[in-house]
Amino acid sequence: MKKINLKVNGVDYSVEIEEDVRLLDVLRNQLRLTGTKEGCGEGECGACTIIMDGVTVNSCMVMAFQAEGKEIITIEGMATKSGLHPIQRAFLEEGAVQCGFCIPGMVLSAKALLDKNLTPNREEIREAISGNLCRCTGYNKIVDAIDKASKYMGKEGDVNGI
Amino acid sequence: MKKRGIGIGSTFYGTGYGNGFPDVSKAIVELSQEGEIVLYVGATEVGQGAKTILTQMAAEVLGVSVEDITLVCEDTSITPDAGTAAASRQTYNTGNAIKRACENLRDEMIKIAVKQLGLNSSIGVKVENKKVYLNIFPDKKVSFKEIANLQGEETLKTEGIFTAQTTKMDEETGQGAPYWPYTFSVYGVEVEVDTETGLVEITKAVCAQDVGKAINPKLIEGQIDGGFAMGLGYAIFEDLGLHNGEIKHNRFTNYLIPTALDVPDLDKIIIEAPETTAPYGAKGIGEPVMIAVAPAILNAIYNAVGVRITEIPITPERLLKAIKDNGKNKLEEGKI
Ligand code: FES
Ligand code: FES
Repeated sequence: MKKINLKVNGVDYSVEIEEDVRLLDVLRNQLRLTGTKEGCGEGECGACTIIMDGVTVNSCMVMAFQAEGKEIITIEGMATKSGLHPIQRAFLEEGAVQCGFCIPGMVLSAKALLDKNLTPNREEIREAISGNLCRCTGYNKIVDAIDKASKYMGKEGDVNGI
Repeated sequence: MKKRGIGIGSTFYGTGYGNGFPDVSKAIVELSQEGEIVLYVGATEVGQGAKTILTQMAAEVLGVSVEDITLVCEDTSITPDAGTAAASRQTYNTGNAIKRACENLRDEMIKIAVKQLGLNSSIGVKVENKKVYLNIFPDKKVSFKEIANLQGEETLKTEGIFTAQTTKMDEETGQGAPYWPYTFSVYGVEVEVDTETGLVEITKAVCAQDVGKAINPKLIEGQIDGGFAMGLGYAIFEDLGLHNGEIKHNRFTNYLIPTALDVPDLDKIIIEAPETTAPYGAKGIGEPVMIAVAPAILNAIYNAVGVRITEIPITPERLLKAIKDNGKNKLEEGKI
């Protein structure tokens, strides 16, 4: 057993972990943040995407102890009390969600992109989500949604609660 | 060298179980004691949008908005069997069952209203905005809530059952009418083939899909996008690598599916040709939207580099070999 300190969605946690668990396991099983999904478990699908210190990582490929002192955003950290994050709103409006399994990861990849580049073109959007596999949507409506979200965020700013 | 070509693929697809197999969908709709509409349906939502469009159809019959309907879905202890979410059948089959269930409920509510209001008949009685009223004299009205009260303890509940009509094919001749209805679709694609690497890129694509009637155009577009990506994967990426019944390509490192970079923006044309036996004319498109993709891509490759591919997926190795063999054959035939 080992103790790690990390900040998730603005909240400080101190968690007892087994040395060999992944960050994904800590998020889902210990912090009960089950919005982060496990698809392949080997870094190929992006379903487990989270943002760690500003960059997206596959949380299935990060050992929990590597998250010591890090600041993490998961899908649960996107909406605020006043409502959905503009990215989430745009996903809903554009019909960008089908089964939904890839969507938490997609939304976080979109956030990481838009935090750096608020006016991406469609190619840049595609590039940014190319590590997130989706079996249902054919990606186009997701690209539409991220494009729309970029406009919302340009106007409203990033209303993320963190 | 990079070579471009265009190709077209077209299919017609029989939805439902077909071949005389009993294809039955059931739905129940209830006017709750509070006068709310509750729809019970076993149709499974897998992201295709069944819950949305089935609720839309119920709302249409009952003259209420989608938000006014409580949908109880996929709970086998209380929802009747709507068959599988397969064979592109929920829109048509379960849609029909829901429409019938709601029409039955509407008729029952009208009967109660006619009695309560002392009307001569049900002629000119409308159901809208959670009330039943006489169109020529709208003050003559009863709300859903009042009807629910009149109904008492036992809530008003009606069922709708739909059994699709298909016949078994003649085993000897293969003739018959095994499916109904059919949906039609056409894909057109433009590809760019790299003759050095064997890579195929889809540079443009358009899909024209017959849907009968578009209950929810945005969902249809999403289905088309998804079907295209799946068809594209089928045509050039996805290979299970079956060896003696064992799947060798059992992870995303060797079972490749399209990423956002592989899929082009797709031009989507929704064709509405209402089907008379369908609910509001609407037909299912889940599978139809993917079937013509691979043939269209293969035809485009033929158009680009002159080789007929007969085995998918068209991996770069396969394509390079085919291009090489084709060159050799032509040389032997003295064509080049
Ligand atoms: S579950 Fe982590 S990349 Fe697939
Ligand atoms: S919506 Fe189903 S995997 Fe993306």
